[in-house]
Amino acid sequence: MSNNPVFKPGMSPAEIVRKVRSLPGVAITSTGMRDAGQSDFKNRLRIHDQKTLTPHYERMDLFSAEVHGGARWHVGLLNRRESPFEETTILRERMPSVLLQTLIRETSLWGYRPYPRNVIEYVVSQVDIDVWRCFSFLNDVRNMRTICEVVMGRGLLFEPAVSFTQADWATNDYYLGVVGDMVSLCGGVDEIVLCIKDMAGVGSPERIRELIDTILQKYPDMVVQYHRHSTDGLALPALLAAAQAGARLLDAQEDSLTRFYGQAPIMSLHAYLEEAGIPVLLNRSEAGAAVQKARDWVRQYEWAESPFKGFDHNVIEHRMPGGAFPSSFEQAEAGGFLHLMPQILQVMSLYNRIVHYFDVTPGSQMTWVTCSGTVNRYAKEFGLAGVNRLIALLKKFIEEVDQDLDRLDPEEKDELMEFFVTAPGDFKNLLIGRYGKLPAGWPDDWVYQSAFGDQWEEKLAERSEDSPLDALEDEDLDTMRAELAARLEWDPSEEEFILYLMHPKDTIDMIEFREDYGQSPMVLPTSVWHSGLVRPGEKVDFRMRDKPHTVELVSVGEEHDGYITVVLRINNQTQVFSVETPNVIKTEIRMARSDSDVGSPITGSVWRLGNPRRGGIAGGDIVHEGEEIANIEAMKMENAIVAPFNGRIAQICVGLNESVVENQLLFVLEEE
Amino acid sequence: MKKIERLLVANRGVSAVRVMHTCRDRNIPTTAVYSTPDHLGYHVVMADKAVNIGEAPPAESYLNMENILQAAFQTGSDAIHPGWGFLAENADFARMVQDAGLIWVGPPPELISKLGDKAQARKMAVAAGVPIIPGTEDVNTVDDALAWLDDSGVDYPIMIKAASGGGGRGLVRVDRAEDLEQALSQARSEAEKAFGSGILILEKFILNARHIEVQILVDQSGNAVHLYERECTIQRRNQKVIEEAPSPSLDEDLRHEICGQAIALVNSIGYHSVGTVEFILDSDTGKYYFLEVNTRLQVEHGLTELTTGYDLVGLMIDVAEGKSLEITQDDVQPNRWAIEVRLNAEDPETFGPSFGTITRLRTPDGPNLRVATGIYQGASVPPYYDSLLMLIMSAGHDRERALKVMDRALGRSLRVEGVKTLKPLLMSIIRHPAFREGDFSTRFIDKNIQDLVKAFREPTAEDEILNVAKYIAEVSALGPRSWV
Repeated sequence: MSNNPVFKPGMSPAEIVRKVRSLPGVAITSTGMRDAGQSDFKNRLRIHDQKTLTPHYERMDLFSAEVHGGARWHVGLLNRRESPFEETTILRERMPSVLLQTLIRETSLWGYRPYPRNVIEYVVSQVDIDVWRCFSFLNDVRNMRTICEVVMGRGLLFEPAVSFTQADWATNDYYLGVVGDMVSLCGGVDEIVLCIKDMAGVGSPERIRELIDTILQKYPDMVVQYHRHSTDGLALPALLAAAQAGARLLDAQEDSLTRFYGQAPIMSLHAYLEEAGIPVLLNRSEAGAAVQKARDWVRQYEWAESPFKGFDHNVIEHRMPGGAFPSSFEQAEAGGFLHLMPQILQVMSLYNRIVHYFDVTPGSQMTWVTCSGTVNRYAKEFGLAGVNRLIALLKKFIEEVDQDLDRLDPEEKDELMEFFVTAPGDFKNLLIGRYGKLPAGWPDDWVYQSAFGDQWEEKLAERSEDSPLDALEDEDLDTMRAELAARLEWDPSEEEFILYLMHPKDTIDMIEFREDYGQSPMVLPTSVWHSGLVRPGEKVDFRMRDKPHTVELVSVGEEHDGYITVVLRINNQTQVFSVETPNVIKTEIRMARSDSDVGSPITGSVWRLGNPRRGGIAGGDIVHEGEEIANIEAMKMENAIVAPFNGRIAQICVGLNESVVENQLLFVLEEE
Repeated sequence: MKKIERLLVANRGVSAVRVMHTCRDRNIPTTAVYSTPDHLGYHVVMADKAVNIGEAPPAESYLNMENILQAAFQTGSDAIHPGWGFLAENADFARMVQDAGLIWVGPPPELISKLGDKAQARKMAVAAGVPIIPGTEDVNTVDDALAWLDDSGVDYPIMIKAASGGGGRGLVRVDRAEDLEQALSQARSEAEKAFGSGILILEKFILNARHIEVQILVDQSGNAVHLYERECTIQRRNQKVIEEAPSPSLDEDLRHEICGQAIALVNSIGYHSVGTVEFILDSDTGKYYFLEVNTRLQVEHGLTELTTGYDLVGLMIDVAEGKSLEITQDDVQPNRWAIEVRLNAEDPETFGPSFGTITRLRTPDGPNLRVATGIYQGASVPPYYDSLLMLIMSAGHDRERALKVMDRALGRSLRVEGVKTLKPLLMSIIRHPAFREGDFSTRFIDKNIQDLVKAFREPTAEDEILNVAKYIAEVSALGPRSWV
């Protein structure tokens, strides 16, 4: 058992780079705990299960483990209800010798909009990660500057990633330009790893060999890592080609987690490369044990798999990234348009020849929303024939008339001009440069006319070539922290605050969920987390805070008036729960919300409206600040409700002798 | 001398159950009375017989004197103990009981009446040489109040009280002249509702006040002893929350002086039964003032029982039966520290009442604890009455040790589910450094409410497992959640 790993936390970036260079062959980054789950299981793989792999990772001789970032962050809050901070704490403790790696979206960090410099500095300086793989969906290297400075300043490994695609404009010269920008940003090649990020899995083996060879001819000492999805079915030969061309680090995942859109299977990759004469740094028996361990729990995630299964070589046209595959198909299924997926993918293939950027977050979302929205609109208005007419029109525009609008018939032209009308706001921000420069230049003017209508010239004038890092004003962190504290009613931890900076609403929801349901996401086995206890007598055993617990289902009753009674035995004690169903009829109680709303300070009954001196009170009455306007009795104590300012009673929202709850709206006042 | 054969307890909850415990010790059969929603109440379970005396509103049941007397006749009860609250300090009821030929387990009706009138009580105190707070009686209008402020030179804040009040009701503090009018009208209205009389008195309000009270016991021949003092300074809205005995504010000299004053007062008026003489101690000046006499068993009497070993309800019954006191002042030797918390069914932050069903209950146990409860697991807490669920008392050889026992009782053992309770607030108070050092006044909770509330967020292991179980229940009933 080796427990003296080659790569471990605390090593300086230069030392890591030297060690990679001195390897006889390649080393592996395992994506089993991040991208594998994202690409084939919608990021639903829970830390509760993933942590069972840690003893093996600890001894596997990995280069690093990608465990953090990408969409895992947001889906953690939204669906798994676990925080990335909890995850890294658990992983650090259980595999202290493994380099933990994240994937970060330049100025968008782990969110979806560009953040100003001070937010980036604040967040990046507090997250406990060793390897920072940073990509730009525009390959706008300027946008990586702040992250690069903070990460390198902390003595951690920065890994700039070139977003890769196959397109006529994506030439070797183009990529060399991007790499050159990265080298100058990072001050050379000795303290960084360069990643070729083939997020859709579109690089043919020979294209990848050629690209890496070109880069290494110019930067012979560069450590190159090839990150690749399997979507086109050619992952293994492409990875071999990359290694033969000189890539020293490759991404792989547990064979038992491998489906269609994630990374290559680690055991197969190991065998394939070794057979080709390339030594692989990997403890094969531990890797095999991890593969076996994942097999124990992965079947519990069948519900999370993509409804669209199988490789898709057409990805080279539509370029949907592996990480977006299952969630897009899930949306299509939920939205009832799964049958339109072939058409949507076709429109995507054509769309990305009009506007050039890389289909990866947040670009992939813009592409998806624009294309799926348009296809749905056509299907609704004109049926499938209409969708096919749109596709034929786009094809004609691109393939027959070289995107020259004037060579289309007038009615075709009019129809095409409608294409971007419903594009999302993010796409419109992209057009005016809010995310940075586009990799192959700005789209033609007609795209602006289509997206902005009459305002297109104004918008075009607004377009800026600046990096958001230079364009965005710093945010007031103290105010934002106070805002969160007011929402939570306690002083947020640094971690809660960082979550909030990325995803404000979803963070609040997640914190509220945890207030209600405590450690459920961390302690329950996945079958119970997903479907609960099914049969009476079924039990779940788990440990929480170093003690054993058992919860047993006694009975689930019939629905009655919108409630279902569930009886559980919790550690041998019977407990009855009344579970609200969606059919519950709620009498809505209006709460006081604004300054002009007068709410009840207490739960009690309204025994007087008005006051003894003036008598009763009615809508339209003038009241004076401090004047008693109602009185609430609770537990035999009186509570005077006084007018908060001079004003007029706009509305009386309760009746005499009515029971009210705390903060229930009693009056609406209006300023006189 | 007349031995009680069957005792009717004209009360409910903790108070009725407490009286019944002593009756069991003495083999006196008991009759409970109950309102309709209380028909499965713990006091009904405890009693030997139980009679429905009316519907939920107190006026129809626990304050319904005719029905209660009827219940006594119907069950052959020859004595009535009123507990605390409801009719305990109602002189008319005491008189009715006696006129009906039954034994009233309490002080003489005429003294209940006189001492219940704050103005008269102040006169009696003055006559007995006991110091009183500067104040005025019989205030009707704002002008009356202003005239007194002028004459006496007393400055704001002042306190408005119902002349016939008690238990914190009808009390309104006034800080500024602008608030005087509304405060007077609120106090008058509350007083009318709670006590049937709108007569008010005004007093100087003592800012850093501590509340000290002396437990006294007098037999029908006038033999009086005191059982030392209790301190009830931790209050909110003038309702006691935490009490202790002895008082950490008194030295031995002051303790003997105050206890002696209490005896002097009751001796001068011909009182008998148990009673409590309440004083305000001004921590800024060290002066003490007579506040009132409570002519009944107090909620916090158990503290005195813990420190002295006597059963006050038993002694009350002895006195009511006409027995002479067998104990002398020298026999009373308190030898430990005791602390009581009142576990009310209230939101610990807003103090809004909470009612419902007690879905789970585990009462604290272990060394040096006494629990007096009015509920059981499965019982309902109706919205019509006092919110007291349980009294928890801890004892120790000194204050620090008694506090540790209380911390264990509240933090590790007590569990109440189904209604909100004051538990988090009580925990925060007993852990607050100022409280631990004995440095507090009657405004302690108001002054420290933010600190106290901040300390609430400390889920216990049981809260955590319950949260997990709640999730299991929901997903088991509803299937996979849409967001999962």
